[in-house]
Amino acid sequence: MSKKIKLYDATKCTGCRGCQLACKQWNDLPADQTENRGSYQNPQSLNPNTWLLMHFDEVDAGADGVKWIFRKDSCMHCSDAACVRVCPSGALTHTKYGTVALDHKKCIGCKECVTVCPFNVPQYDPKTEKVAKCDMCFSRLESNLEPACVKACPTGALQFGDEEEMREVIKKRMAALKGKGHLYGDKFVGGTHMLYILPEQPVHYAGLPQNPMVPASLVAWKDWLKPLSLIAPGAVLAGTFLHYLTKGPKDVRKSLPETKGDA
Amino acid sequence: MFLIINKGDIKISTTFEKLLHWYLAITCLMLICSGLGMMFHSFNFIAAPFGGLKNLKLVHNYTGVAFIPALLLTAITWWKEAGTFDLPDDIEWIKKCGGYLWKVEELPETGKYNPGQKTFFLTVIFIGLLMIVSGFLMWNPEGYSKELINWMYALHACGIVFLLPFIVVHIYLGTVGVPGSGALVFTGYTSRAWCLSQCPKWLRKKEEDGTLEVFTGE
Repeated sequence: MSKKIKLYDATKCTGCRGCQLACKQWNDLPADQTENRGSYQNPQSLNPNTWLLMHFDEVDAGADGVKWIFRKDSCMHCSDAACVRVCPSGALTHTKYGTVALDHKKCIGCKECVTVCPFNVPQYDPKTEKVAKCDMCFSRLESNLEPACVKACPTGALQFGDEEEMREVIKKRMAALKGKGHLYGDKFVGGTHMLYILPEQPVHYAGLPQNPMVPASLVAWKDWLKPLSLIAPGAVLAGTFLHYLTKGPKDVRKSLPETKGDA
Repeated sequence: MFLIINKGDIKISTTFEKLLHWYLAITCLMLICSGLGMMFHSFNFIAAPFGGLKNLKLVHNYTGVAFIPALLLTAITWWKEAGTFDLPDDIEWIKKCGGYLWKVEELPETGKYNPGQKTFFLTVIFIGLLMIVSGFLMWNPEGYSKELINWMYALHACGIVFLLPFIVVHIYLGTVGVPGSGALVFTGYTSRAWCLSQCPKWLRKKEEDGTLEVFTGE
């Protein structure tokens, strides 16, 4: 099974939010009561009922005035996903497509994935006491369908396909953009399975991490301390066994002056 | 016999001390088992009797709540005898590893608790506090920076790496390693020979003060 890539080409995006709606529709997510804050960005951030959110940023472009830029925010589907590493119940898993799936039934609502995700994707829902996030429409992938957001995109900004195929698409598009496109997602966390082509430097997009990575604390915990928590007591247990066999138990009777240990 | 108090045996622990020891030990062991059950996928089966991992997490968290008074009472009850060092004798004892690892001609006399036990006591107190603080931040991470919470998980795991080996040594020396110790946590009494070997300074002081309680058979 070839890995899949979902490409968001922001140079083709008109910010129509068809993908945001299609995501809600396919995943049967209710609308939230939101607040008008003078931006098309609505709601303000991802939440348990919004797994895909279009971000709208206004950027000072110097002589060109102000630029209005868009970004599609949803799970990046990391190859080295911090959330999968940390999940204690096995609810978060890597799939054969390279995506990160979430089994709701297994989630215990520990919120560990919420704090380790470098993209702030998993959202804890106090009502269900579980976490929610985009699973790149796993049920659709299983039926050989593209994700709902890709299906809905009217401009071709969202594309989906086999990894090798998509790499070719990206290469061609990057060449066509003549250095004005910025590829985001291929250089960290083992490469993400959602990739961006952005018309501006990533630094201009609010909330987009510049150097996302698996937290050092998680590496220390899962790669070092976790195995040590069994190795250390195991080694000491073996040590006490050896001690008993070689040195033997302490004979407290030796401390009695009158018996000299033969009592 | 293991749990029979013999004539002439000396009272080491009060009923309160015995109850407190088991209160701390049982909450501690429950926390360790439920914690390992969550940390290792291969130990997830520990959750089965509780009806799943979500319940195991609840058991872990609320046992953690019950652990707080146990730890505080432990600190208060034994701080004087086990939390402070008796210099320079205790240093000398540590240098010789209490005679447990190689043959030692002369060991400095120890009080109620030897420096090894004191180290274990202080480790339990400080790692216990670390586990309580990090655990509660992990339980309610909202409002704190994600980086802080992430390091709390690492610290929580670090705590267990240091605590578990100590607990293994504690159980070994409290049972087969030093015969006569195991009965103490049930009866509170042990032999004079045990006292002369394990806490001679304490024994002498009690005898001088006339406060030593000896089992007379009644």
